[in-house]
Amino acid sequence: MDAPAIATEHLTRRFGQLVAVDDVNLRVAPGQFFGFLGPNGAGKSTTIKMLTGLLAPTGGRMEILGVDLARNPVEVKRQIGVVPEGMALFGRLTGAEYLTFAARMYGLDRQTAAKRTAELLEFMDLANQPKALVADYSHGMQKKLALAAAVIHGPKILFLDEPFEGVDAIASGTLKAMLQRMIARGATIFLTSHVLEIVERLCSHVGIIHKGRLVAQGSLEELRAGVQANAAADSAGAPVGEKLTLEEIFLRIVGGERAADQELSWLK
Amino acid sequence: MVEVTSALRAIGLREQFAAIAQLRWKIFLHSLRTVRGRMEMISWIFIGFGYSVMAIGGTIGLAALTWLLVSHNQEEWLAVPLWLIFLVWQLLPVMATAFTENFDASNFLRFPLSYRSYFMIRMAYGALDPTTIIGCLWLAGMALGAGIAAPSLFLWAAIVLAAFAALNILLGRMIFSWLERWLARRKSREILLLFFFLFIIGVQFINPLMQVYLHRYGRLHGPPSFALATQLVAVQTFLPPGLASSAVSLSAQSRFTLAFGALALLCAYSAAFLALLNIRLVAQYRGENLSEAPAPAVTRKGKDSVSAGWDLGGGLSGAVAAVFEKDFHYLSRSGPMLFPLVMPVVILVIFRFSMINARHGSNFIQDHAGLAFPIGAAYALLILSSISYNCFGAEGAGVQLYYMSPVHFREVLLAKNLATGTILLFEMILVWGAVALLYGPPSPGMTFATITGVLFAALTSCTVGNLMSLYSPKKIDWAAFGRQRASGLTALAVLGVQAGTMGFAFIAVVAALYFHRTWPATLILLIFAAGALWLYNFVLGRIDAVALSRRESLLTEVCRAS
Repeated sequence: MDAPAIATEHLTRRFGQLVAVDDVNLRVAPGQFFGFLGPNGAGKSTTIKMLTGLLAPTGGRMEILGVDLARNPVEVKRQIGVVPEGMALFGRLTGAEYLTFAARMYGLDRQTAAKRTAELLEFMDLANQPKALVADYSHGMQKKLALAAAVIHGPKILFLDEPFEGVDAIASGTLKAMLQRMIARGATIFLTSHVLEIVERLCSHVGIIHKGRLVAQGSLEELRAGVQANAAADSAGAPVGEKLTLEEIFLRIVGGERAADQELSWLK
Repeated sequence: MVEVTSALRAIGLREQFAAIAQLRWKIFLHSLRTVRGRMEMISWIFIGFGYSVMAIGGTIGLAALTWLLVSHNQEEWLAVPLWLIFLVWQLLPVMATAFTENFDASNFLRFPLSYRSYFMIRMAYGALDPTTIIGCLWLAGMALGAGIAAPSLFLWAAIVLAAFAALNILLGRMIFSWLERWLARRKSREILLLFFFLFIIGVQFINPLMQVYLHRYGRLHGPPSFALATQLVAVQTFLPPGLASSAVSLSAQSRFTLAFGALALLCAYSAAFLALLNIRLVAQYRGENLSEAPAPAVTRKGKDSVSAGWDLGGGLSGAVAAVFEKDFHYLSRSGPMLFPLVMPVVILVIFRFSMINARHGSNFIQDHAGLAFPIGAAYALLILSSISYNCFGAEGAGVQLYYMSPVHFREVLLAKNLATGTILLFEMILVWGAVALLYGPPSPGMTFATITGVLFAALTSCTVGNLMSLYSPKKIDWAAFGRQRASGLTALAVLGVQAGTMGFAFIAVVAALYFHRTWPATLILLIFAAGALWLYNFVLGRIDAVALSRRESLLTEVCRAS
């Protein structure tokens, strides 16, 4: 049996007294399109930063494709591509220069780097402004460029932190097409997003983190069945048999439906 | 909704000021939570000590000078200290902009601030500038000196000097607000910075050119300094420091109408500066958007080939070559980093001017022209130290890629040091050429001694710079001119390394003087350079662990939004 693409054991991260990620045991199988969800401040970005080497955990272990990240970070980083929160772009390079730079940082030779850069710029519809600096790109163009840089070395796992945030429908379509190609060729994708409709449409599996703890993990069907079973047991919420959306599943798991009932004394 | 509106109405200017003051205080307190914050605080105490000496010493000195001038009925000479204060007030924040911290008050515009409140907040933050405090203290000292010498003059002098202080505050705020407007966009920023550096270079030439002018003028028309001074005095009388001086001296001479006229003109200047400042603040208040506009779409005329990137050879990895190439692209597209590189040659040209002027007298450079190459090389090294000691500062979010990619941090820093070294080599060749052209070719002995000295200093600088870049990084944002603060810790480290390097170099100089030859100095500096190389390798070999331990603070600082 293949090693999981991503596996964490008791993964913990503290910031002083605050436990941002608390004893998370995550397993993502190779080839899965995994959506990692949670309310604001739940620990999504902290987890993705730890999994990509941008932040050190204060406890627990992480294995990427069976390799211990703490012991062999360079080997792990060769296998992964990342679009982090800040996109990791160099504003004073052109798109082509940035992509060749990223390719060479991931160990590609000069010729391969140039060839893939040209292809990716074409695919992402970024080739028509060869002289423009990345700082002058629109937000959507920067997202596409960041994704192009993350896939240029053909990673086995792709980590994406809010890839669709602030992206228009056209750019979003390009990004989704790219991600589906990656999945088709056997890559694993680990994605955080607040846009639950996109996660529901793209992801085969979902993990939900709440207040630093992983509160649910599995395929959409498994989560739906779990929520409906709980609802039936409690005799509350949606009747058994109704197909819940991911948003409804998410709200029931993290307790978000209470917010709608709450009122502010000065906004009655 | 009624309750919300009535609550908002109750908010007054005083509450908003109190809230902002509390915010600033809390930010300061929270900055002390980290070890780095506390270290920064200690370094600021040292820097603050320097400012305090400047403020107190200047206040006492200017009070004494004013007392002397007023006592001897020489009030018109007050223009000299007033010009000094004016220049310090306006130029020091530009030169030492990094040593102040001015919060971007436009962040408060999301709150229900009236324009009056916004204006007052912008002015209040200006008042926290060290140069404003120093300038006000100096002017207070002058008013006091005038009052002691002539008590009847005190009130008038205080009013005039207060008006002069207000003018300086308004002018300073006005300059910064317009600078920020121009610096917000990359292209206008590059043009403005080019002018700024041309101005700085131009200032360096004032003295030598004046000497040339006086020399020529003197031969033709008799006493030169008097003629020039007369012309300058006539012009300066209509400028703010001259007007403030005239207002005081005319009052002392009981020519009150003219004194009022001078004060009125001074106030007119202030009103003009206020109007210009107001234009900027109104635009900000109305919510102008100064962000970089996306580049317009370009119609493609055929496929552009993608460059394969540089190959450094010499067994250096592709990652080293990539970072090296990236740093050169960054340098070539950054005016603020590029323009200072011409300064060593400019300095040599200025020295050459001084030599021409001092042909009939004694002059250090004239007597020691052989030192032109080491002086130019040392200046080049000094300029490059600003890049070495904060080498990630200008990289923004891109710095994350170094941690995400399968690259050892020592490769990244090696590439950056190689890039700095290459620029230094280019600078050295440029300086050598300039020296050869202006002063005659430096002797082989001096050339070799300088090269070994620079090698030693550059290696030391890179070693400490690599550590400081990780331990005390500071985001550089060229668009936020005047609102940035340099790391005090790095400033002290730079001073320490420079003092240490000079101390070691002094040993070599003593040896050279003792033997009346340059080779002992070359030999000693070569030994020091070998030691510095060993230290460089030692630190570089351990830099990965440092980079990992410092990654959170580095990423937080360099990737933060402006």
